[in-house]
Amino acid sequence: MKLTDQIITANHNLFRNKTRTFLTILAVFIGSFTIILSNAVNVGVNDFIDKQVESIGGDDFVMVFPAAMSDQITAITTSGSKITEYNPTTGSALTASITDEDLTKLQNVDGVKLLEIYHILTPEWVTSSKTDKLYTISVEYFPSDNVNMDVLVGKMPDNKSDRFEILLNEDYVSALGFKDNESAVGADITIGIKQTAACYTRPNDCVAKVTATVTGVQAPSVLSMDGDLYINSALDQELYSLSIAGIPNELVSQNNFVAVGNIEPDKISQIREEFREVGYELMTIDDEIGLIRTFFDVILIVFNIFGAIALLAASIGIINTLFMSVQERTREIGLMKAMGLSNGKIFFAFSLEAILLGFWGSVIGIAMSMLVGYIGNDIAHQAFLSDFPTFQLVVFDPVRMGIITLIIMFIAFLAGTLPARRAAHQNPIDALRYE
Amino acid sequence: MDPVITAKHLSKTYGKKALAFRALKDINLTIYPGESVAIVGKSGSGKSTLMHLLALLDRPTEGQILIDGSNASQLRSRQLNRLRNRRFGFVFQQFFMNANDTVLDNVLLPLKIAGLSRFKRKAKALDALKVVDLENKAKSKANDLSGGQKQRVCIARAIVNDPEVIFADEPTGNLDSATGDKITDLLFKLNHKHGVTLIIVTHDEDLAKLCNRIIRLSDGKIISDQTVRKNLKVSASTRREKEAARVKKANRG
Repeated sequence: MKLTDQIITANHNLFRNKTRTFLTILAVFIGSFTIILSNAVNVGVNDFIDKQVESIGGDDFVMVFPAAMSDQITAITTSGSKITEYNPTTGSALTASITDEDLTKLQNVDGVKLLEIYHILTPEWVTSSKTDKLYTISVEYFPSDNVNMDVLVGKMPDNKSDRFEILLNEDYVSALGFKDNESAVGADITIGIKQTAACYTRPNDCVAKVTATVTGVQAPSVLSMDGDLYINSALDQELYSLSIAGIPNELVSQNNFVAVGNIEPDKISQIREEFREVGYELMTIDDEIGLIRTFFDVILIVFNIFGAIALLAASIGIINTLFMSVQERTREIGLMKAMGLSNGKIFFAFSLEAILLGFWGSVIGIAMSMLVGYIGNDIAHQAFLSDFPTFQLVVFDPVRMGIITLIIMFIAFLAGTLPARRAAHQNPIDALRYE
Repeated sequence: MDPVITAKHLSKTYGKKALAFRALKDINLTIYPGESVAIVGKSGSGKSTLMHLLALLDRPTEGQILIDGSNASQLRSRQLNRLRNRRFGFVFQQFFMNANDTVLDNVLLPLKIAGLSRFKRKAKALDALKVVDLENKAKSKANDLSGGQKQRVCIARAIVNDPEVIFADEPTGNLDSATGDKITDLLFKLNHKHGVTLIIVTHDEDLAKLCNRIIRLSDGKIISDQTVRKNLKVSASTRREKEAARVKKANRG
């Protein structure tokens, strides 16, 4: 018997008892649907996180802080907190600051391209010539070379430029009175920043103004939901020097908790080691994102376990269905054996039916999860994801779908071996005598 | 003429030790091409068991079966399957058809097992249906046929692979006498016209009388093995040769 004939015959036999076959496929479908949909969501979320990681500044960006602060930071990010004994020499953990001496040491570590104190900037407002209103603003500067954000129009602020440059997000475009994203690019906006020292003498007139050029407009990003606008190095420097003008250096350096830098990504583990020796920890975007990923991975595992349990139940359904089928077709099996069909082919015929049950279950699972996934995606975009047009809630990776289908077919095959063995080992005479 | 099937000291025992039941006891038998053999006996006489052994559907407890002079028990299961598929045809009392398949699909089953191409097997199945005069029913569902038609389809299925031997187990057992006669005619036509060897298991004396040889079984033993000449279309000389050969063999064994 030829393979194609076997497959066609198996599929034909499968649908002889439509209700039973349908119910068995339904059981497989429940498992495959759960697994496929949760995988699609996981791929979607990870894809999005990947994009966002790139958008923040890629893999060459690091944050550096004194090891004494590391406990605090992990405590904050993992939402648990620890009480530590006070030590008069190190002082409060949170105020451990980076000294100039240390900074030089760290800068000389192989693979470190740039390392500078992170400037805590709190601009007062932002406005433009197109509006009378002032809007709150927060800005962020990333010393990274491979920034690749979801820039909708224009380009990223250039860290090498002497000009003051800023990337707006879509919300600010309309607020600042620009007609559309295109007309905002190249326009000037004004940022106000408080000069703390001056405020002691001139409380009503201590906000300095800086004019910056908009280089581009960015889609809102999940990792900057607070609305941080990206600025270039020159603007960062300017805003910082304005804000600290008149403040004694000792006071300023007390606030040097964190350094930001730009490193060669391949050397990250060596750099991490050497920094530890000097007493500093570093954190990459991936370290931060890792926590979010872990969260979604755990969810995926939980759903996969649900799916696996459903598949286990479905396997028992397959075994049951095929045993019934073997029973019903005892005579047919005997007849085919009498006509010279080998035990191996009989085994294969029933295994094929099991595999086909798995196959149809997965195919329907894929089809349904695509349907549900895309509809869910649309609904989510109209509701809570409306700010993230680039976020695909579900992504159906063909390779992953294929692998899942193969695994399910294999599980079905394993389930089918029991009834298939029984069919194969049937004696043709007994089978023909069977009433 | 060389025998097609030879049985030597054939025994079949079911069960073990105290429960052992000897269904067949020391059967010796030679069947020549073109013969029509009726195996007759009461139920429990071992006639079905004998047919199953001769058709290589079951293995004897003792003794051996020679096909074309070579021992069948030495064949690998692959060769055995091939042999049954290419050279034997089966007709059963209960038809054994796939009720929801078409007549054509039922008839071409042996060819499908043999691995023939779709086109070839359809052509051969239609030829076989022509022989049993049911080509116009090719597309009907097997279930929609009458009993006689069903058995004709089974005969078409049995001859579709141009077998040398057709084994028929009570082929008319489920049919009324008129339809039964039609089936009988068909089987003997194959025997006369195409020289197909017929081995018919029956308890119907009328059917048995149509055969040129009647083997009577009782309690697992052959009690008589008569050859009648009336239906034989093989030439008298061949027939005589065959008879002589058998006598010679019997004397030797």
